[in-house]
Amino acid sequence: MINVRDIRDAARDLLAKGEVRAVIGYRRGSRGMAAEPVVITAPEQADELVWDPTCFHNLALYLVEDRKFLAHSRKAPGAPIAIIAKGCDARAIVVLMQEHYFKREEVYIIGVSCEGVGVLDERKLAGHVPGTPTDAAFEGDDFVFTTPEGEKRLPAREVMADRCLECRAPFPKEHNVVFGEDKTGRELAAPFAALARFEEQGATERWDFWRRQFERCIRCFACRSVCPMCYCDECVVDSITFPVAPETTADEKANRIRWIERSAVRSENITYHMTRAMHLAGRCIDCGECERVCPVNIPLRLLNNKMEREARERFGYEPGASIGAASLVASFNDSDPGSFIR
Amino acid sequence: MEKILHKERIDDWISALTGWEVLSPALEDGIWAYRPVSGAVRLDHPNTTQPPKGLAFPQREVFFSFEQIKGEAPRLTQILPDTVQRAVFGVRPCDGRGAVRMDRVFGDHVEDTYYQARRKNVAYVGLACNQPPSANCFCLSVGGSPVSTDGLDVLLTDLGDRYFVAAVTETGKALMTAANSLFDEPADADRQQLKSVHTEALAQPQRAVHNPDAVPAKLKASFKSPLWEELARACIGCGICTFLCPTCHCFDINDEVTGSAPLKGNRVRTWDNCQFPDFTMHTSGHNPRPTVGARLRQRVCHKFQYFPENFGMPQCTGCGRCISECPVGIDIVSVVNKVVEHAG
Repeated sequence: MINVRDIRDAARDLLAKGEVRAVIGYRRGSRGMAAEPVVITAPEQADELVWDPTCFHNLALYLVEDRKFLAHSRKAPGAPIAIIAKGCDARAIVVLMQEHYFKREEVYIIGVSCEGVGVLDERKLAGHVPGTPTDAAFEGDDFVFTTPEGEKRLPAREVMADRCLECRAPFPKEHNVVFGEDKTGRELAAPFAALARFEEQGATERWDFWRRQFERCIRCFACRSVCPMCYCDECVVDSITFPVAPETTADEKANRIRWIERSAVRSENITYHMTRAMHLAGRCIDCGECERVCPVNIPLRLLNNKMEREARERFGYEPGASIGAASLVASFNDSDPGSFIR
Repeated sequence: MEKILHKERIDDWISALTGWEVLSPALEDGIWAYRPVSGAVRLDHPNTTQPPKGLAFPQREVFFSFEQIKGEAPRLTQILPDTVQRAVFGVRPCDGRGAVRMDRVFGDHVEDTYYQARRKNVAYVGLACNQPPSANCFCLSVGGSPVSTDGLDVLLTDLGDRYFVAAVTETGKALMTAANSLFDEPADADRQQLKSVHTEALAQPQRAVHNPDAVPAKLKASFKSPLWEELARACIGCGICTFLCPTCHCFDINDEVTGSAPLKGNRVRTWDNCQFPDFTMHTSGHNPRPTVGARLRQRVCHKFQYFPENFGMPQCTGCGRCISECPVGIDIVSVVNKVVEHAG
């Protein structure tokens, strides 16, 4: 089991020696028990860091933010930036490196193994614990919650996120330093289990299901905003991100193609989500953040999982497995079965 | 008008509301939402993910459609809001107070005819919060209360096996009169119980904005504080906080083309969002709120400084949705407290 003191010591040491310019990690938030992302820059801040079942966030997003900030302010990066990364987060970092978003030596990965468990799904917790818990902790295969009525221990499996149950790589293979045991090979649920259950339905039922889901979308764009892979400055399906500069001409502004309208109606919502799913094919590493943050509970993992499984079954491709590997859509192979490529 | 309604009679009351479409909170697809009533109504919901704001101010509404046939004058067809009367059951007092603020925005200086046309057909049957429905409730810090009647037409208070039903407006009285025979006169014991339930509700612990009266001035003094960027450091720039807010009212108007030969489409009003990067983007490319810090400051200062300056009340009603649903834990109570504390 990981002792959070080890993570704090590592972060403190890296900052004190000037080996990194900042550490992206988790600290206790003010919203109930949940952790929140934090960027620390001074050794004494290391004591703020936490590691518990509410460390849901894929912090790779903040590497992207950091890179954008540096580019915008035309600053040299200087020392690398450190990041606390779970198995899924580390895979996201690998994909970003495969895509040359930053170089390996620019990032210091403090790996944390999820070992035999994963992170909490807050929606599953309702009804399992009395009142509002103020703290959550790992305890072997259990989560222990501090509630107004004392401690409550639950088998992690009952309240873990689906993405964690189905996770095939809970250990961050790519790391500079790593904490926790490598329990790769643990089988909590079959890979793609939720997708397989969903696909037992017929095409009509599935289409009805998605029509109903997308009807509800309010296009807050949280799924895109939280995704480390959605780093485009200009999102093709969303006019709110079109960059305008003093040199952008009126013609350019007027003639931009609007693939979807501002109205959050089903047709536009479907186009948005389908386009996003396609753009994540072979890139999504199933951190499941899009699904976690959706305020109207649209099961977005199903879409991305579908693309992930296609990539795996048809091309033997695992996103985020190797920095040196070419990305799925940027490579081809003579043995590809598709005839269109020849 | 004050009455007692036994809980098992609430469905009969709803059935008696002929001429009204009745909505109540339903747990559908894992979220609580106001849905047209089908079957028994049990007002045992926490709070809905979205407030009932959209009934008067929908996320999308068409003002008019247009068509341009070559050689003819453009044809414009005005689209007016429907005139269905809707009664919403189970509205929490914070959302009732949200409606009061929306009414001011769309009625005080300029009457927004589309908003008003919808609003006059909506009635809110509120439910007092005997327990805070969320761990992030803070209505007491923004001048509200778990038993407030502001903006509601009727207030229900759960007394165990029955509701204490108090009409707040004439519309509320009419809703009750429509099913007069279902209600009983409250006995002294009922009134005493109501009083003690309300007293207990007011004593429930909540999140708190410290020294709320000082907030507008402190925020004003903190406009240039570097704290804003620091507090927004984790912000991912999504629109959850404002799209779920009972009082956010910013909108955009676009022409959405639906066909090219002949050219036709709709002029559409949609919600806009001050957390999106293009919200204050000028045509020159200059953006006065270029960062997440500037945009967080806008949201917080609008709720706690500009709105009080313009309307004499905080815009925030303390429902806590923006806190509960923020993907990265940005917490308006904590932000306000930190900025105020920092201002000294």
